[in-house]
Amino acid sequence: LETFGYLLSGFETALTWWNLLYCLIGVTCGMLIGVLPGLGATAGTALLLPLTFALEPVSAIIMLAGIYYGAMYGGTITSVLINTPGESASVITCMDGYPLAQKGRAGAALGISAIGSFIGGVVSIFGLVLIGPFLAEQALKFGPPEFFALVALGLILLLSLMGKSLIKGFLAALLGLALAFVGQDPTSGIVRFTFGDANLMNGFDFIAIAVGMFGLSELLFNAEEKLGGNAAPPPPKVKGLLPEKDEWKPTMKAIGRGSILGFIIGLIPGTNSVVPSILSYTMEKKLAKDPSRFGKGALEGVAGPETANNSYCGGALIPLLTLGIPTSPAIAILLGAFVMHGLTPGPTLFENNPNIVWGIIASMFIGNALLLILNLPLANVWAKITMVPFRLLFPILLLTMIVGTYTINNSMFDVGAMVVFGVVGYFLKKAEFPLAPIILTFALGGMFEKTLLQSLTIFKGEFLGFFTRPISGTILSIVIIALLFTITASLRNKRFGTEDVDV
Amino acid sequence: VYQLQLLKNLGFYISLFFLSIGSIISLQSFRLDYYSDYGPGPGLLPLWTGILIIILSLMYLVMTVKKDSFPFEKVLPKGEGFINILSCIGSLILFIIIVPYTGFLLGSTVLLFLLFKRGYKWYVALCVSIAVSLFIYWVFGNLLQVPLPTNYYGW
Repeated sequence: LETFGYLLSGFETALTWWNLLYCLIGVTCGMLIGVLPGLGATAGTALLLPLTFALEPVSAIIMLAGIYYGAMYGGTITSVLINTPGESASVITCMDGYPLAQKGRAGAALGISAIGSFIGGVVSIFGLVLIGPFLAEQALKFGPPEFFALVALGLILLLSLMGKSLIKGFLAALLGLALAFVGQDPTSGIVRFTFGDANLMNGFDFIAIAVGMFGLSELLFNAEEKLGGNAAPPPPKVKGLLPEKDEWKPTMKAIGRGSILGFIIGLIPGTNSVVPSILSYTMEKKLAKDPSRFGKGALEGVAGPETANNSYCGGALIPLLTLGIPTSPAIAILLGAFVMHGLTPGPTLFENNPNIVWGIIASMFIGNALLLILNLPLANVWAKITMVPFRLLFPILLLTMIVGTYTINNSMFDVGAMVVFGVVGYFLKKAEFPLAPIILTFALGGMFEKTLLQSLTIFKGEFLGFFTRPISGTILSIVIIALLFTITASLRNKRFGTEDVDV
Repeated sequence: VYQLQLLKNLGFYISLFFLSIGSIISLQSFRLDYYSDYGPGPGLLPLWTGILIIILSLMYLVMTVKKDSFPFEKVLPKGEGFINILSCIGSLILFIIIVPYTGFLLGSTVLLFLLFKRGYKWYVALCVSIAVSLFIYWVFGNLLQVPLPTNYYGW
């Protein structure tokens, strides 16, 4: 019950008119990012991070979180209307969403995904409210070995899920780790790998890498063809936002299953939002009375995955808020936002800054409601945005990236680094290297090294010491099993691989 | 013929990239303490990371030579697309070089013009560039009070 008292006071924070405004700005930007091509949730959040400098921490994070889950709603619109997923979690929505649109039922597809997303979002926030404080309390007892084990678990699961080749995934992850070494060492304070350059004293800036890898490289990919092209054909008109009478029951069931599935997967470090949406689609297809409808416009095939990926967002915030461990690049940017505003996500956050945590959680209820309103009556307006030609959009996005990167430290060096990382990311992507591990290991690198060194100091240099403690021993055993499993599966070419995903 | 194929393979250059990063990291970390009086030192993790990168990049080199090759002619866009990429990277570099002298307004107008020119007639491109520069300068610099890269005169 104490929890609900906190939640109520969170609503008090979130319902002030300025926080409502920032929440609205955040979810609207998120929708825009989801709808526009060439900009994912990670790059979008990273770009808008510097704009929150002057804000109160709680307002800043309310806005940035709004961008994160708002993008999930936006991505659906383009998947359904023009068969182009705005972000990767909506790829699966194209399967049945676009056929529905071709049958003139785009409205029903968008309506049910908005409703499903809302329900999924709310269910997962409730889960966060119930589990978060409890987990945070448990995590207070964790020492460096437990944190090291958790970070290792997240990284291993990430690698086993991502990309086609294990070697490429590992190389990408190690590159991120190597980049994280640059600058002052977290334990001894010694300055490393700067080659005498004062700009590198504090290491590479996280935003420069995130914007370069996920923003610029994506833009370069898009610029390969679309620049001189004509505007996209007008998307079909959206009408009739509700499903028919006999469709309600199966779709609501799909939404219910998707909510729970997405939330549970969100809790597992190293997963991404594509995993729950694919799993939900497969599950719905298996459970359906007539599976042959799938791929030809089955409403459950849109409702389940769309619900699951939104519910995932809430679940994925739990490892961040309670342990300080980001599970995906987009969440890693939120971690950056916390740090920039002088807060440390992790077990102590619930205790030291309850007003901030609960304000953010409450704002997510409001944000999801705002998104429902933004989506249903305004579907046609968002659909029109897909018609903005890329040749107009692209230079403006590029300039925004420069400004966004520059403002972090007022440094042109960061802008240069952003360009270099963008080009590197572009070529790595060409050779089918996943980029998400780079940014995640970079974000986690400091914590990984610090907890490892502290643990080894505790264990007097004995690595096996990790296995003398129950929690770290169990988690590291899972890590080793997962690693062996991934290696054998990849040797047999039988991996469950998703594409490189950033949310 | 074999050598020529290697030189035209993007994977080859990527493995060299990783190999050099691994070598730099591991060589540099020899200068740092592997173990200090208090426990493990700042050189421990970088050394192992560097060694792992070297091993994996060599494995990747074998992989890309044997089956997983990415010849430039296949992965890089041709014609207009290629020029788009070059003009994008080029104008970014140009911006970084000229902005300390020209300031934000002029520098960003040049950057935008070079890019808009590829999709629009030059006079349209020029007008849009100036308008967008002024708009971003106003939004970021005045409205949001965010510092922008400026020249000696502050614009």
